This record gives sequence, C-alpha cells and structure tokens, in this order.
Amino acid sequence: MTQTIAPPQPAPLPVPSVAATKRRGALSRTPGRMRLAGVVAVLASLAVGVLGVQTGQAQSKALASAEADTRQLVGIQDVRNDLVVADATATNAFLVGGLEPPAQRATYDEAIASAANGLARLAGSNEADAELLGKATAGLTTYTGLVEQARANNRQGFPVGAAYLDQASTVLRSDVLPELDTLVQTNADRVDSSFDAVSATPWLLALGLVSLVAFVVVQTWLARRTHRRLNSGLFWATILALAASVAGAFVLGTTAASASDVRDGSYADTVAVSKAYSLANDAKSMESFTLIKRGSGQAYEETFQSETAQARELLAGVDDALVQSLDAWTAKHAEIREKDDAGQWDEAVALAISTEPDSPNAAFDAFTTAASESLQASAAATQEALSGAGSSAVLVGWLILAAGLLAAVLSWRGISKRVEEYR
Amino acid sequence: MRRTPLGRRGLPAIVALAVGALVVLTGCDPSTTPDPQVTATPEPTPAAAAPVVECDDATTSYAPDPGLTGSTVQAIQARGSLTVGVSADTLLMGSRDPLTGQIEGFDIDVLHLVSAALFGGDPNRLQFRVITSGQRLDVLKNHEVDLVARTFTMNCARWQDIAFSAEYLQAGQKVLVTRDSTATSIDDLAGQRVCAPESTTTLERLKDDYPEVTAVSAPTHTQCLVLFQEGRVDGITGDDTVLAGFAAQDPYAKVVGDALSSEPYGVGVAADQVDLVRFVNAVLDRAKADGTWAAMYDRWLHALGPAPVPPASVYGRVPPR
Repeated sequence: MTQTIAPPQPAPLPVPSVAATKRRGALSRTPGRMRLAGVVAVLASLAVGVLGVQTGQAQSKALASAEADTRQLVGIQDVRNDLVVADATATNAFLVGGLEPPAQRATYDEAIASAANGLARLAGSNEADAELLGKATAGLTTYTGLVEQARANNRQGFPVGAAYLDQASTVLRSDVLPELDTLVQTNADRVDSSFDAVSATPWLLALGLVSLVAFVVVQTWLARRTHRRLNSGLFWATILALAASVAGAFVLGTTAASASDVRDGSYADTVAVSKAYSLANDAKSMESFTLIKRGSGQAYEETFQSETAQARELLAGVDDALVQSLDAWTAKHAEIREKDDAGQWDEAVALAISTEPDSPNAAFDAFTTAASESLQASAAATQEALSGAGSSAVLVGWLILAAGLLAAVLSWRGISKRVEEYR
Repeated sequence: MRRTPLGRRGLPAIVALAVGALVVLTGCDPSTTPDPQVTATPEPTPAAAAPVVECDDATTSYAPDPGLTGSTVQAIQARGSLTVGVSADTLLMGSRDPLTGQIEGFDIDVLHLVSAALFGGDPNRLQFRVITSGQRLDVLKNHEVDLVARTFTMNCARWQDIAFSAEYLQAGQKVLVTRDSTATSIDDLAGQRVCAPESTTTLERLKDDYPEVTAVSAPTHTQCLVLFQEGRVDGITGDDTVLAGFAAQDPYAKVVGDALSSEPYGVGVAADQVDLVRFVNAVLDRAKADGTWAAMYDRWLHALGPAPVPPASVYGRVPPR
C-alpha cells in the first residue's frame, strides 16, 4: 500500500520552517486539540437541534397526511354510501309501481347529486385517485342513464323497465362500486402508513444519543488533559442537549400515542360504521330484488343475510345502540320474508314499501339516520384530533433547535476558556 | 266447476299413493325411457348443450282427464294453491304490469283457467314464481313448481326431462329489427349481431341454422330488448308472440319476415305427474272448444291478427313405465 500523503508522520524531516512547525504543532499540541474538541462539541449540539427540527417537521407532515388521507377515505366511503342509498331507493320505488312516491324520488336525486359532487371533490383532492374516480364517474353516468330509462319505461307500463333497472344495478355493482372499493383500500393503506410514520418519528431523536456520546468523550478527554473534573460550559451544553432530546421525544411520543388512540378509536369507528352503513344499504337493495324476482330471489336473500351479519359484526365493537337499531330492522325484514315465503307476495310487497311508523322502511330509516350521525361525529372527532397535533410537533422541533444552538454556544465558550489558559 | 265429493282419505288416497309410487319408480328406471339411444346426461347443464333428439311426436300429450282424483291434483288441492313458473317481463304473454304489480298475459290466463278448474272457480289461487327461460326445466325436474307456462316450446329433447300439456298456442320464430332497417328476413342480417335468450330453442336455431349471423345471448328476452335499444345488437330473434310484445314497447322496432319455424307452446309439467298433465289437457280442450281461448287470443295477441283456429290437441302418448 502506497501512501501519497502522510501528514501525521512525525519526525526526522529536514529543517522545517518555524511557522510550519508551529502550525503543524497546533494540532499535536493541547490547545489545538482542544479547539478540535470544541468543534466536535459544537457540531454535536447543532446535530441535536437539526435532528429535533427535522423530527418535528416529519411528524407534523405524517399527521397532516394522515388527516388528508382519512378525509379522502371517509369522502370515498361517503360517495359509496350515497350510491347504495340511491340504488336501494330506486329498487324499492320500483316495487311500488309506475307512480313513484315523490319522497323516494327526492331521496334518490339527493343521493345521486351528493355522490356526483363527492366524486368531483375527491378527484381534485388527491391526484393519485383521479383515474379510478374518473372511471367511477363514467360508471355513475351510465347508471343514472339506465335508471332514467327504467323509470320512463316503467311509467308507460312497459316491463322492459325492470330489465333496465336490473342492468343499472349490475353496472353499479360491476363498474362503480369496485373502483370505489379499490380506492377505499389504497387510502386505508395510505392512512396506515401515515399513522405508522407518526409513531415512528420520535425514534429519530434516538440519533441524538450519538451526540451525547460525543459530548461525554470530549469531556472525559478534557478532564484528563486539564485535571479538572468539570467544564461548566460543556456540562450545561450536555445537559441542555439531553434535556431537549428527552423532552422532545416525550412530547412527540405523546403526540404519536394520541394519534394512535385516534387510529384505534374514532378513525377505526368511522371506517367500521361506514362499512356497516354501506352493507346495510346494499342489503336493502337485495331485499327489494328478492321481491322483484318473485320466487327466484333466493341468492339475493342470501346476500342480504351475509351483508347484515357483516354489518352487525362491524358495529358490535363500536356502538351497541346501532347494533340494536340494525337488529330491529332485520327483524322487520324477517316479517317481509315470512309473508313472501308463505306465498303472500302482495302483502310482502305492501309491507316492504310501506312508510308507516312501524314499517320495515321506518326501521331502516331509523338505523341509517343513527348510523350516519355516528359516522359524522366520529369523522369530525378524527379530523379534529389530527389537525391540532401537527402544529405542536413543529413547535417542539423549533424548541429543540433553539436548545441545540444554545448548547453549541455554551460548549464553544467552555472550550475557549481552557484554550485561553494556554496563551 | 267440478268438485270432488270424495274425501281425502280412504281408497282414493291409497290408489293415489300407489299410482304415485309407480310413477316415481318407473320414472327412475332409465331402461324404460321411450328413446333409449339418448342416455340423458345426469345434469344437462344448459338445455342448449343437450343432444338434439329427433322424434315426430313432440306435440303428442297424454289423453285428457278432468277428474280430480290423481295424486298430484289432490296434493295441489290440499295445499290450496297452484305453484306456477312464469315470466314477469314478456309483455302480452306473461309480464308484471308496473302500475298494478299484477302479472298478466296469455300464458297467465291459461294458468288462471287451471286454477279455476282446480279450486271451484277461483282463478287466483296461483303462487307465482318468476323464472328465466333457462330455469324452466330445472324448476320442474326439482318439483319446485307444479306448472310452467312461459312461452315453452314443446320438443323431443325436453320430453326427455319433463312432460307437456297439449299444444295451446302456435308461435313462430321471427326477427325484430329497427324500423328503418331494410332487412326483410333473418337472411339479410348476415354479419350483424342478433340477440336471443339463453337456453332456448330460439338461440339454438339461430346458432345452428344461421352461422353467418353473430349470435348474442342474454339472460332473458327482455334483456335482449335493452341491448337492442342501446344499439348493442342489431336485431332480436324470438317467437312472434314475444316480439309482438317488444314492438308494443318500442315504436322504433318492427317484426319482419316469415316464421322461421313453428313453435308449439305447451304447459310444462314434471315428468312424473301425468295426472296433472291430463287434468290441464282437459282444461285446455274446454277452453279451445267454448270460445275462451279465442277471447284470450283477441285480448292479448290481436297484434298478430284475428284469432286463428286453436291448435288441435294431439293425444296418444303412453306414460313411461
């Protein structure tokens, strides 16, 4: 191995100039080494500060994206819910016959308008989702077109209307809902990774340990060299850096913990209730289709049963009142099935389309109203909890930076005093 | 209406049981099938895949018997209602009126006649089960319904699995095209897309006899009309009875050409319920004779012209044993 440069080679070199000897000696002698130690201490202090700022920013960003992604996720679920509400209304209205009740028509129109608005808003708020949302929007256009054709034919007493309604539901379930389900999944994944980042960032501060080790090494060396136990500047710098790191880790850790509470609490509730709401509405369409198919709707009833069972499971961990409300509705549904299975199709239909206070529709409305209220409350709680947390993380970051700068000044001054003694 | 004075116990019941058992037994024995060269596949999935069965007695049914003593007839009377497989979207033949919610049409009126004969004049003891064309054979084979009246063409392949009443309507396969189409028959539709429902003789004939036409299938005939209105097919082929219902729903459609085939409609009955076939035949014969049939034709199918002479009932089939 050949060495081209060998600076620390001591010794039998031919007559170095006095100045050069001085400079070279600077590092080999104590004051020079002390200055080097000072630089190390200053860098260690600054590193703590920069790390603090970076960590604070990173956590704040993670919180912000968790907030944005949960909002997007809830928004997509809202659209999905609007669509199943629209479909459940359209199919139930179809059972009524040609003359659709105005209230049901209004519910359908409202749900479709809300879904269309929601799709446009969601496409604007996250570009990554825009393509699938575009497909869903195209599917929605086809869907509404088919429902209108079903309606027009129905109004004229043409049985082809039923075929259009059938096709509309197929389009909804094959072209629109799957796209939205994919989006729900990707956004749920994004939310998860944002939450993971929020909890992971406080660990970044552990890197500050490297700085603390540097402080200790510098001070031990200094103590041995100067035969004095403590250098007050370096001592306080160390304490400051340590305190800032620990306090920062504590605050950011607390934020992470409360974010994780949101994740397991209001966010999990939002997702669960939203899914249950969607399932219940889809089941409602199935109830109507079971009757429309008149005797050949067994598959629809099976879907109804599995969907309501899933919804019940989702709600069980969240809100017992909602579970009871769901049960009250499925009990009413059982009455419809009982009539239909006993061959009283007309009575079953009459029950299914009734809007009397004790009817299945009323029980269903009671459930959906309670579920959407719970949904709004937990979504709002999630947003609120996440939006405040980011700013405190940023503040903590800046405070750590300030502490780091102060520690840098203190350590430089501490070292300077010792260097002075050699003059 | 005729009402049996006999009780539901005693000798008639024993006879009924014996007959029923006999029918079940013989029905299960493949060696006694009238046409032994066709070993019916255990589960012939769609009827379209079933082997082509040649015979010359597709419209031959069991001789009529208006008596109410058969085991099946007795069981239906005891149950209090007749379960029937129908279409709810074939305008004129069997469709649900969106305004009233009632299922009505020519096929449905035939069933009302049977109900009236079974239940002392009450035509409404019907338990409707809405089925697709593809389900017709299965619901009978599984005894899920008593009768199927759903534009059901009598043919030899189907006789392998089920029984039919005597012919009650003579339909013919035609083609429906847009009003401005220059096609005058299905031959002019070479290279174009023509729709027919799954598991029907219509689709089979379209595929077999007109290979140059692109056959498109749909779950029900009315789904074909949806495809037609959406411009996804250029024409629909089907029985003139069904197409007349489509033309009534779509002023931009017309039915063209001569009948490609003759489609004798029969009421489908489970193969082992010969007494019910005989009973239905008696009901049909009476309707054909006393003008009820002509009145039904005029009510539903006047678009096809004035009521023709009702199709003659052909009897002489011997129950398999």
